[in-house]
Amino acid sequence: MSKLSLQNAILTYEQLETTPSKIDEIPEDLEDNLRKLGCDLIQSAGILLRLPQVAMATAQVLFQRFFYVASLRKFSIRDIGMGSLFLASKVQESPCKIRDLINVYHYLIQRYRNLPVEPLEYFGSEVYEMKEALTVAEMQILKKLGFNVHVQLPYGLMVNYLKVLELTEHETIPQKAWGYLNDALRTNVYVCYQPPTIACAVIWLAARVAQVKLPTSPAWWELFESELEDIL
Amino acid sequence: MDIDIVEIVATPEVQTVVTPEVQFAVTPEVHSVASVATPEVQSTDTPPSVKIKTKKSKWDSESENEESESERKINKKKRNAKKALKATVDSEVDELGSQHESATEGVKRLKVSNDAVESPSIKSASPAAESVNEIIEVPSPQENTVSTPQSVVEQIIKPVSSKPPMLTGCRSVDNYEKLNRIEEGAYGVVFRARDKATGEIVALKKLKLDKEKNGFPITSLREVHTLLLAKHPNIVNVREIVVGDALKQIFIVMDFIEHDLKSLMEDMQSPFLQSEVKTIMLQLLSAVAMLHDNWIIHRDLKTSNLLLNNRGQIKVADFGLARKYGSPLGPMTELVVTLWYRAPELLLGAKKYSTAVDMWSVGCILGELVNKEPLLPGRTEIDQLDKIFKLLGMPNEKIWPGFSKLPHAKNIPYLKQSHNSIRSRFPYLTENGIDLIARLLTYDPAKRITAEEALKHPYFTESPLPKDPEMFPTWPSKGGGERRKSFVSPSAPNVAHGMGELDEEDQAFLGSIFENQGGNDYGFRLKV
Ligand SMILES: Nc1ncnc2c1ncn2[C@@H]1O[C@H](COP(=O)(O)OP(=O)(O)OP(=O)(O)O)[C@@H](O)[C@H]1O
Ligand SMILES: [Mg+2]
Repeated sequence: MSKLSLQNAILTYEQLETTPSKIDEIPEDLEDNLRKLGCDLIQSAGILLRLPQVAMATAQVLFQRFFYVASLRKFSIRDIGMGSLFLASKVQESPCKIRDLINVYHYLIQRYRNLPVEPLEYFGSEVYEMKEALTVAEMQILKKLGFNVHVQLPYGLMVNYLKVLELTEHETIPQKAWGYLNDALRTNVYVCYQPPTIACAVIWLAARVAQVKLPTSPAWWELFESELEDIL
Repeated sequence: MDIDIVEIVATPEVQTVVTPEVQFAVTPEVHSVASVATPEVQSTDTPPSVKIKTKKSKWDSESENEESESERKINKKKRNAKKALKATVDSEVDELGSQHESATEGVKRLKVSNDAVESPSIKSASPAAESVNEIIEVPSPQENTVSTPQSVVEQIIKPVSSKPPMLTGCRSVDNYEKLNRIEEGAYGVVFRARDKATGEIVALKKLKLDKEKNGFPITSLREVHTLLLAKHPNIVNVREIVVGDALKQIFIVMDFIEHDLKSLMEDMQSPFLQSEVKTIMLQLLSAVAMLHDNWIIHRDLKTSNLLLNNRGQIKVADFGLARKYGSPLGPMTELVVTLWYRAPELLLGAKKYSTAVDMWSVGCILGELVNKEPLLPGRTEIDQLDKIFKLLGMPNEKIWPGFSKLPHAKNIPYLKQSHNSIRSRFPYLTENGIDLIARLLTYDPAKRITAEEALKHPYFTESPLPKDPEMFPTWPSKGGGERRKSFVSPSAPNVAHGMGELDEEDQAFLGSIFENQGGNDYGFRLKV
């Protein structure tokens, strides 16, 4: 029995169906919306902090995972979002500064609420409070996820598959597939499937949209060890 | 396949996918995200296509294991997720795009982005391929392997476990009964403990987090991560991470190993036999070769971090300083490796270094094993260099091209001696033994022997041959409570343990302490 693994954690059907938030009587669509908003914030904050996309992607996967083991009633998407991004930036070897992260989150949330944005006071209580919340959240994520915080991402794989399929030069497919990978971060796709499957799925989808036929014999997805059933 | 397509296309939400608005990739914001990130991800994550195929069978067998029932359910769930995703894509991407644009401006006002530009993390956003070449003088690992670090990760993942992990939280440290404290290292405390469920004896390393200003230390993240990556018979096995009651109590649970070489040697009457030295060295080299092959530098190899069990097996421990190189990193800190085992390029301030720093440490360890005393026990950095020069002679541009351009090369005391005196330090060692030490302690890191090469060195095939580990003598274990130990030995510099990632305030503070480095006496940086 090894509790620690480098592989992505994949949820059981029960874990997917009965989220802690659901048990806490949070309506499903509210949960979905909060998850999306949380991920949007992470993505935007990462862009503002100029973090590499792998950091934002990792953070969103951690964020999604977290709310399969903890309830939205107990943890706020702001804190867990900040904590995920902070942790992910370290996991991806491009650590960001706590202060920058707090400023960016403060800014994004003020904007989201349509409130005027004023810079945080350097030694203000709000900074202190956010700092505290951030570090507590980071620790909670580590503990609740059992330190399984090294996320395998499908970006690199996808680029490789495209190369093999000779699609890297295609006008729309690479861009689109890449975009789907980013968008899928806001769904539970990354906690349902391993990276190769996800990579195949987005290529399939992008090719479909571009009306490009992919080789079927041998079936191209088999090359990348994905089950057709999974892709669809 | 067709059926499913029809099904998907038939649903109203998904149809939007095919409509022109969905060409969201054209939205400026998304576009730029992708293009900024692409080069980086390509070079870090991309396994060469050769590797893709080798993975095939493993993945296949894995998917066979899964129950189709729950899979189908999940599939459905996923399909729903996808539909939802698509439905939201067009509407939200636009919105998000404009939001980001104005957001960027706003933050400029906040001067956040100003700071960010200067911070080292931004440098890492540059294409990885470039920075790898810049930062690391790469010796052999790259020549014989085409793989990028990430692909290696993927190779290793599989053996670790074929099933993906369950998402479960850390267990409590209460699952273990603490027996005794083994030793307080510089950065953590290690306990011997018993697994209450199985009765097995384990070691619990408590991470020191209390003073952390930057949340969970990146060094500890690396420690856990590399221990997971580095599954090898000669690397200590990590079982799990457990937590205590307080927020900041975190323990790494490892197999308990009876001895560490440092305290063992202190208690031994006479040095290890040559046959034993060879067995220890072969195991050490095999672990190091594996690490280096996987782009991991240990950065703190020394006898107190080498554990030995009662079956003659060596286990490399303490990955607190280990890190992967080759990913897009800024220059690495030269303040790694405990002084006595620190390579000359680090002492001379090189910020570009490689796996060769570990090989120097291995050389120091070999010398220590043979003589049962530290080979180069310097008191300060200057003293350390002095001891090295006395053993090996003064380096020069001829034997070590680039030497004189290293940051501290101008500030070191010149020693006239040009010959090396290894022979006289090891009167009983064979020519082959001397040769191996000399190759490990080669000044020029580019010429220093690699772990892979060292494993093939004739020293190991000449008489006396390495001893069968099972035939090793056994000693009473200090950590096992059979005797308390009490030695003081130096540790790797504090800076390497996360101080590099301090707040601006603290960095300013440190700056004032370290300002006059390069002078004769910068030994104050050491934590001895
Ligand atoms: N798995 C283990 N089994 C038995 N003893 C262990 C184990 N791991 C560590 N130790 C003991 O604890 C000591 C310190 O462990 P470790 O080196 O991992 O911690 P550290 O805090 O990084 O120490 P330092 O920085 O001083 O090297 C080791 O030298 C060894 O004596
Ligand atoms: Mg140690």
